[in-house]
Amino acid sequence: MEKINAKIVEGMIVLLIVFTFSSCSQDSDLDNLSDTVYLRHKDADMPAYIYGNGSEKLFLITLHGGPGGLGLGFRNDMFKGRIEKECAVVYFDQRGSGMSQGSYTEDGISIDIMAEDVLALVKVLKKKYGDDSRFFLLGHSWGGTLGSAALLKDQNDFLGWIELDGAHNASGIYLEYIANFERVANEQIALENSVDYWESVKDLVQSADNNEYNDDDFMKLNREAFEAENKLRDDGLITREEDYSDIAFDYNIFTAFWNTGVIQAIERRVFEDVDYTDQLSEITIPSLILWGKYDMVVPTTFAQEAFDNIGSTSKKLVIFEESGHSPNVTEPELFASEVIQFMNEHK
Amino acid sequence: MNLKLLAALLFFGVASITAQEEPLSDLSFLDRTEFKVGYTGNILWNNGLQVGAEYLLLEKIKVKQRKKGPKSIIHQLLLDGNLGVSTNFSSRTDTGVFTNFGVMWRRTNPKGKQLSIGINPLGYYRSFLPETYEVDGNDVNKVFLPGRGYYAPALSIGLGRDRKGKVISGRYFNLNLRLRTPYNTGTLPAISLQYGIRFNFTKKR
Repeated sequence: MEKINAKIVEGMIVLLIVFTFSSCSQDSDLDNLSDTVYLRHKDADMPAYIYGNGSEKLFLITLHGGPGGLGLGFRNDMFKGRIEKECAVVYFDQRGSGMSQGSYTEDGISIDIMAEDVLALVKVLKKKYGDDSRFFLLGHSWGGTLGSAALLKDQNDFLGWIELDGAHNASGIYLEYIANFERVANEQIALENSVDYWESVKDLVQSADNNEYNDDDFMKLNREAFEAENKLRDDGLITREEDYSDIAFDYNIFTAFWNTGVIQAIERRVFEDVDYTDQLSEITIPSLILWGKYDMVVPTTFAQEAFDNIGSTSKKLVIFEESGHSPNVTEPELFASEVIQFMNEHK
Repeated sequence: MNLKLLAALLFFGVASITAQEEPLSDLSFLDRTEFKVGYTGNILWNNGLQVGAEYLLLEKIKVKQRKKGPKSIIHQLLLDGNLGVSTNFSSRTDTGVFTNFGVMWRRTNPKGKQLSIGINPLGYYRSFLPETYEVDGNDVNKVFLPGRGYYAPALSIGLGRDRKGKVISGRYFNLNLRLRTPYNTGTLPAISLQYGIRFNFTKKR
């Protein structure tokens, strides 16, 4: 019996040692980084997954959409095959998202704190890879809100800003949904594309409060925006070739979904009032604005708005003709070319 | 509510079995204890190993007369304790050690098939994170043994098979719900499967 007991104890100790060591980071090979580093900041522990070529200590920090998206959701074949060859890409699970954990109240979630998280992440990357590290920031959708907020706090550490279908003016989205749905529906009906569907969209828009923000209507319109992009895809206006990331085993989907549900319920309240348009003139670093022509989720009006208002003297607007809300997925090669060219120009 | 309800359930559960219990006092500690070892996890994203022990607190044997002969059904109340470790081997972002203690009710039919329900209100989960840096203002410091502790009660329902008189005295398959709180702004539910064997040190066959 003692032998069996001893073997069980021995087995447990070995397992604990294995798990402990497997939890430690591997040595960094700058040419081919594959690190997972957690940022602990204001009661949250948030993972940053760092992949790619870090030989120039040039990092592209990506901010996912949502709120409640997944950092590694960006990491499709294009990111792996092209952008990670040029620089190290930092895929960051924001506070309350993905595999982030911690212990804080709902007051511990605000755009202000999350913007500080982004700046804290830069400090961690400098600590790990050296003070000579250089950074670009990319934000998609909600990540565009967060990126704008972070840059308005402190843009000194960033060489450039890439806004990808970003919601820098979240409070303006609701009324723009109504205008954009009306416009696109009329265009598509005139083209005789999915006429019944677009007629139903017009009915939906007419039933929404078109004077001021209404939470229920916003959620209906937001859901419809994704459905509308599916219709545009069916009708051949958005390309069907899609390059999604393969994250099947990277996230515990139960945990990630639970986190998404919780954070979206909290952040929607915070999100609905935000409008950085008047402050975009304070962003003076080189900026690249990338948008899908058929973006129904954050309509293309906001692309021009970002371009017109960002204060940088070096800025560029690129509209992806065959894309909706995620040109990085639907036109990955063009996306990669624009991002790499921008980084090479300003690194 | 929950603690009071749990206490009431346990009290009535114990009381109802105590009323008809058979004396167990003649049995030694090891006679009344079974150990267990098995898999825990959800197969796709989290996998690990769990060990534990079940101590027989109370036992009631109901004998029913049937045409084919007497049929006995055993109801048991056991103290249950577990210790486990699990991880996501792909990302290393879901590694943790857990322990929990509570009671288990188990019914064994004449064919040895078992049904069990376990409530383990005393639980603790400690996550272990990869390399972690804490930022406080302009200070950035590497964290020693990064991770967080959570209160982690568990509830399980399972099926099993009794192998009377054998060293490997049974098998079990449980569906387990474990909570972690406070987790971010709330309580994280985690569902896992548990499959393993029970064994003891007194039965030699």
